[in-house]
Amino acid sequence: MDNSGKEKEATALMAEAEKKMKSSQSFFGSLFGGSSKMEDACDLYGRAANMFKMAKNWSAAGNAFSQAALLHLQMQSKHDAATSFIDAGNAFKKSDPQEAINCLNRAIEIYTDMGRFTIAAKHHITIAEIYETELVDIDKAIAHYEQAADYYKGEESTSSANKCLLKVATYAAQLEQYPKAIEIYEQVATHAMDSTLLKYSAKDYFFKAALCHFCVDMLNAKLAVQKYEEMFPAFSDSRECKLVKKLLDAFEEQNVDAYTDAVKEYDTISRLDQWLTTMLLRIKKSIQEDESDLR
Amino acid sequence: MSAFPKSHNPFADDDDDEEVSKPRRGFNFDDDPEESSLSPAERRQRQLQQEVMRTAQSAVDSSHRSLGLIYESEKVGAETAEELIRQGEALKRTDRMIDNMEQDMRTSQRHINTIKSVWGGMVNYFKGKPEPPKPAQREQPVCYEANSRLQNALVESKQQEDKYQASHPNLRKLDTAGFGASASLDNGPSDQNGYPKNKHLRAAHHQLDSNLDEMSLGLGRLKNLGLGLQAEIDDQDVSLDSLLNKVDTMDGKIGSTNRQLKNLK
Repeated sequence: MDNSGKEKEATALMAEAEKKMKSSQSFFGSLFGGSSKMEDACDLYGRAANMFKMAKNWSAAGNAFSQAALLHLQMQSKHDAATSFIDAGNAFKKSDPQEAINCLNRAIEIYTDMGRFTIAAKHHITIAEIYETELVDIDKAIAHYEQAADYYKGEESTSSANKCLLKVATYAAQLEQYPKAIEIYEQVATHAMDSTLLKYSAKDYFFKAALCHFCVDMLNAKLAVQKYEEMFPAFSDSRECKLVKKLLDAFEEQNVDAYTDAVKEYDTISRLDQWLTTMLLRIKKSIQEDESDLR
Repeated sequence: MSAFPKSHNPFADDDDDEEVSKPRRGFNFDDDPEESSLSPAERRQRQLQQEVMRTAQSAVDSSHRSLGLIYESEKVGAETAEELIRQGEALKRTDRMIDNMEQDMRTSQRHINTIKSVWGGMVNYFKGKPEPPKPAQREQPVCYEANSRLQNALVESKQQEDKYQASHPNLRKLDTAGFGASASLDNGPSDQNGYPKNKHLRAAHHQLDSNLDEMSLGLGRLKNLGLGLQAEIDDQDVSLDSLLNKVDTMDGKIGSTNRQLKNLK
């Protein structure tokens, strides 16, 4: 592929489009069919952006798409503007995350204006993912996930809302915002209990909620486990419930070894993931602190 | 614990068979308990007992691994179920939106008729306003269908579980009976060494049995999960087909409307 050739072509197209823009804004241009000139300019910007994409010049592609989007806004075609902003965001994702987030935010504004909340929610998730991976700003990621969940709930897509809420809960628990995490896990688990397909994951959510309770206070955890068993009898048969009970016992006796053994036993059958390990370590540390306090 | 699975006994093709035959070998060598504790026969006996332990241990380990795999499958299944439900919701949303589009298309068609000709406008007046189609209440029935199938599956699997339980205690009796008999025949120093091993073996067997119980429960759950997933997929299949048809008609309508608009110009 002749990438450098494409770039030159693309830059030429951009220049042409800009010329058209300027000419359409002049007095005579606006008299003699200014709008069609703007449409042509939009078109040219789009083509230029695609060529930049082929040449892998993401920033230039993003710029071209943004210009196209602004033109669409001037021509009052909001839908096209939003689509162009999304394209710009995708192009910028690979080079300049911050700029990508700006474009995506503008697109979301347009969509919420038009009342298309589902798409807005989807793009909130995209932004949150960028914050998760590239910019590593967990608070903002949580905020966007929450916004996405609210929009999904408004559109009666509970499963998609739950997906976002679960991510919020995972990060909240990692950041030690336990009440929030507990509330979300309980809510999702209660909802899952009733569905025929989702009930297989309900025990997982109850387990996570119980662990969060445990990080706060042991008594809370005990009461919580009892409450969950009443609500959802199948929970008591699960290995997760048995593990929590063993951990509670070990905590009461302040026995770190029993705690570690129980965790190891659970680990031999089902691997513990990163989040679970962090939470269990926190609880273990609190046992060891209590022990040293007693001494 | 990790060393044992690697000690591939040459006889360890079928662990259960070996365990049942080992106690019988224990019988044979009980004939000379009077000798000193390091007689070749006793050494052989100890060797065999150790091998029995090792085989039992490796059986317990492999059952642990199987249990782990079953739980993993359950997790994957549960996540698939969530994805499926999300997809189902998206399909329903799409359906609703296409209905809206159809409504809008009809309105725009009327407008085009009015624009095209005066006669068209009069025809419109006589045709009257198109009624908005009632949105179908489809959220609940999807869950219900899965429900009834799952109920049937649950009832069936419970019956089979009973049969399985019946076969289990028999197996257990065989093993401990064998060991009980050999323990009573053992006299002398080998007795002291034989008993704890018996206890270990009994513990290993208990562990194995409880693991097998858990495995059967897990497999039952997996089966129900699978059936539920199948029901959901069938439903979504049906709605996908209807969606396809609607989208195709929509496509045709949009094309014709575009052509009419171009002709208006």
